[in-house]
Amino acid sequence: MIEFAVETRDDGIGVVTPQGRLNMVSARRLKEILSELVSGGTSRIVVDLGETTFLDSSGLGALIGGLKSARQAGGDLRIARVSPAVMTVFELTNLDRVLRPRESVESAFHD
Amino acid sequence: MTEPGSARTVTTLESRLELSAPATPEIMELVHAMLEHLWGTTPNVSERDRLRFEMAVIEILGNVVEHAYAADNEDVPGKEGRRFEIAVGVTDGALMAHLEDNGVPTELDLSGVAMPDVLAESGRGLALATAALDDLTYERMQGRNLWDLLCVRATE
Repeated sequence: MIEFAVETRDDGIGVVTPQGRLNMVSARRLKEILSELVSGGTSRIVVDLGETTFLDSSGLGALIGGLKSARQAGGDLRIARVSPAVMTVFELTNLDRVLRPRESVESAFHD
Repeated sequence: MTEPGSARTVTTLESRLELSAPATPEIMELVHAMLEHLWGTTPNVSERDRLRFEMAVIEILGNVVEHAYAADNEDVPGKEGRRFEIAVGVTDGALMAHLEDNGVPTELDLSGVAMPDVLAESGRGLALATAALDDLTYERMQGRNLWDLLCVRATE
């Protein structure tokens, strides 16, 4: 079963790290975590996918939902450390256009 | 109604794995574990083939769990609750899965499945499964939904 590591860095950026498989069950939890972060005032969020071993369409939906609410709050959601397996899902759905994968969590907001 | 896909032969494969279970979101983990076992017993399947097959199986099962059931299904006396059966197997040439469920009929034209808008939060499941598979067929038979999934294995 998946776990989520959630931290807010000194620069105010929230980092969420899903550890394991991001599927129908865990996507609901991710959606909640992202919306809690945004409503709590953290609208710049990095989702670190470096420990995500599987991603399905509900996981994608949760990321898009988080992206939209972060942008509405004046921030953004970025993804980092995407494995080749998870990258395939982004490419098949053309979502790499709106969620451009960043190499590291640290540099995800460096542009 | 379409002809059953060639993936239906998985149900006669001696090395197939089968599971019959309630159609709940939590059961997904068991199906992931089933596939893990399958890769363990057939270690020469390429990572890309494993990935696209697992993606498609989970999307179709997600669809079954999420959409294919009438809310009143469980309240009908004498009628089974929401359940599904899955069989998965590997041959030299293909990865195959057959799914059956007792949910309500799915109104589905697989030829018309397309990716939704990039900012949509749902509706990608079947499009993703179709993109990942070489063949996907759906039919309704004797009150059950039947799904056949086929990945032709990449030649090295």
